[in-house]
Amino acid sequence: MQLEYFLLLAAALFCIGIYGLINSRNAVRVLMSIELLLNAVNLNLMAFSNYLDADAKGQVFSVFVITIAAAEAAVGLAIVLAIYRNRDTIDMEQFNLLKW
Amino acid sequence: MLDFLSQTIWLIPCYTLIGAGLALPWSPGFIRRTGPRPAGYINALMTFMAFLHSLIALSDTWNQPPYALSFEWLNAPGLIINLDLEVSTLALGACVLITGLNFLAQVYAIAYLEMDWGWARVYSLMGLFEAGMCLLVLCNSLFFSYVILEILTLGTYLIVGIWYNQSLVVTGARDAFLTKRVGDLILLMGVVALLPLSGTWNFSELAIWAETADLDPTVATLLALTLIAGPIAKCAQFPLHLWLDEAMEGPYPATILRNTLVVSTGAWVLIKVQPIIALSPFGSSVVFAIGAATAVGTSLISVAQIDVKRVLSYLTSAYLGIVFIAVGIGATQAALVLLLTYALAMSLLIMSTGGIVLNNISQDLTQYGGLWSRRPISGLCLIVGGFSLVALPPFGGFWSLVQIADALWETRPGLFAVVLAVNAIVAFSVTRLFGRMFAGEVTDFTRRSSEGLWLLVLPMTILAGVTLHIPLLLAQWDLLPDWAMVNRSLALPLTWSSLAGIGFGSLVYLNPNWEKPVKLSSQAVQDFFAYDFYTPQLYKGTIIFAVDRISKAVYWLDRYIVDGAVNFVGFATVFGGESLKYNTTGRSQFYAFSIILSVAIFILLTTLPYFSNL
Repeated sequence: MQLEYFLLLAAALFCIGIYGLINSRNAVRVLMSIELLLNAVNLNLMAFSNYLDADAKGQVFSVFVITIAAAEAAVGLAIVLAIYRNRDTIDMEQFNLLKW
Repeated sequence: MLDFLSQTIWLIPCYTLIGAGLALPWSPGFIRRTGPRPAGYINALMTFMAFLHSLIALSDTWNQPPYALSFEWLNAPGLIINLDLEVSTLALGACVLITGLNFLAQVYAIAYLEMDWGWARVYSLMGLFEAGMCLLVLCNSLFFSYVILEILTLGTYLIVGIWYNQSLVVTGARDAFLTKRVGDLILLMGVVALLPLSGTWNFSELAIWAETADLDPTVATLLALTLIAGPIAKCAQFPLHLWLDEAMEGPYPATILRNTLVVSTGAWVLIKVQPIIALSPFGSSVVFAIGAATAVGTSLISVAQIDVKRVLSYLTSAYLGIVFIAVGIGATQAALVLLLTYALAMSLLIMSTGGIVLNNISQDLTQYGGLWSRRPISGLCLIVGGFSLVALPPFGGFWSLVQIADALWETRPGLFAVVLAVNAIVAFSVTRLFGRMFAGEVTDFTRRSSEGLWLLVLPMTILAGVTLHIPLLLAQWDLLPDWAMVNRSLALPLTWSSLAGIGFGSLVYLNPNWEKPVKLSSQAVQDFFAYDFYTPQLYKGTIIFAVDRISKAVYWLDRYIVDGAVNFVGFATVFGGESLKYNTTGRSQFYAFSIILSVAIFILLTTLPYFSNL
């Protein structure tokens, strides 16, 4: 088991998250993709702290990231709910009031 | 007092300019109550004062050596341009002729412009012509002669265009202006080229310079050709002769001046630059070749015209052609005498026909006839003018033509034949004019014709008197060769040629049995002369066509290539904006994609150098 494998896995997860973030039409799925991105970041932090840092600062960071992720998911879901109440849909294609 | 007048010669050109200024209140109609006539009276008075001034100054400076006046006009480092005047007997004599004829023409115009509202304009412009011509004859500088010729070109445009609501008047004025501009522009090239060569524009200094000048033959030829171009256009010589014919749409009083004096301004400049033209044998040959071609051609055209004024306008070109011949062989003195006798005779012809045209409505010769019993004074004046025009002793034209013939016989006998032929054709043409107007049956146009107002007749008769006395005056001034010295072998053929022209003309046109209008056996030949050798069509087909096409092509280039390039830049910007705005999709996922993509590309580009190390 080497550091590179962890990093490559995290990068792959990040790419999948990006793909989901850009491509999903469902707003909840976009939020889920963001969670995936954050998880990829956590993976990275944990891997670096495990291999390179004896003080394990990365683990502290990832605790904070998980906290923030939870808060962000709460706020994000609240926003999606607010939009849904106004527009009766959570299709991302419909939220384009600011186009040309 | 007399001394004062001869010391203030420069005033002569100024009188009528002052008159023109005084006529201003009537021209735009600030004063309507009086009608426009006071403007005319003021100008006629100023002209008369100029006439008196030049007459007194002439008698005062008679046989005195010429003296020079000089006004500084431009003083720049390395270049000083002075307005040089030379007060000589010749110049003052010309001033007397100009102011005198202008005064007669203005008196004539009082009757001719009855009921016309253009008085102020006509009189001011006639004054402008007088001022310009007086300054030209006094002027001793080629540069200022050029300037004056240009001013007179503008004057021609304005005075031909007096009756500007007729389309023929407008085109006539335009063509007169443009044709003269062609000549003036080429003349300007010569004027500008002359200064570095000679170092002076002063005519008398130029003549001295020309005596010893050592010019490259090509330069001399080019210089001569450019200097000839201005007079060619001014004197209505081939190939720039059409404007004079079209300028006949202007009023008659102005025609009196134009056909006699204004066209002579070109000849005057030509005479002044003759020493320079003589530097190039080719240039001199061009002068008399053009003169000879014009004299023969236009006198033949004049025979075929049915318009009174056009007959006279082509005769004008013919006589100026003879002047060109005389200048070409260097007989400048004879050319000046011819200009004098010609000016008086031609203005008499124009005055006598003008009165007839005025109250017979038509200018068409074929509509006339039988005027002799109704208008004897005009008829007599026409006869006097005609006799003085051609070589018929003892009238004026004979003496000047004999002098020219004398000079020709020694150098170029071939040209003497040309002068003989032209003289005969002119005699025929004037006889034809007389015959068609005064002889034959009365027509509807002439049935109720009578002599015009006394103001038309008086200047005409005074001028007839002067014209009849011209040989005596010339003899008085020692300008005539002694009768014993006259070459009889030249005088006789000249006289016979005039008699032949008049006789043949009388046979055809005073003879009621000869069918009129005369039809030649070949209609094509007759049309060829009647339509001015088809020169208008020739110009239309070549120069006007080419200019038209070139300007259209340049317009197209300007419109679509030059304008198009700039417009394309604008269009590209607008189009770019129009198409780029579709980037603003309003979809946050698209924005996220763009941000991530650009960041990725940025990182890729910045880290690219490190990849090569791997």
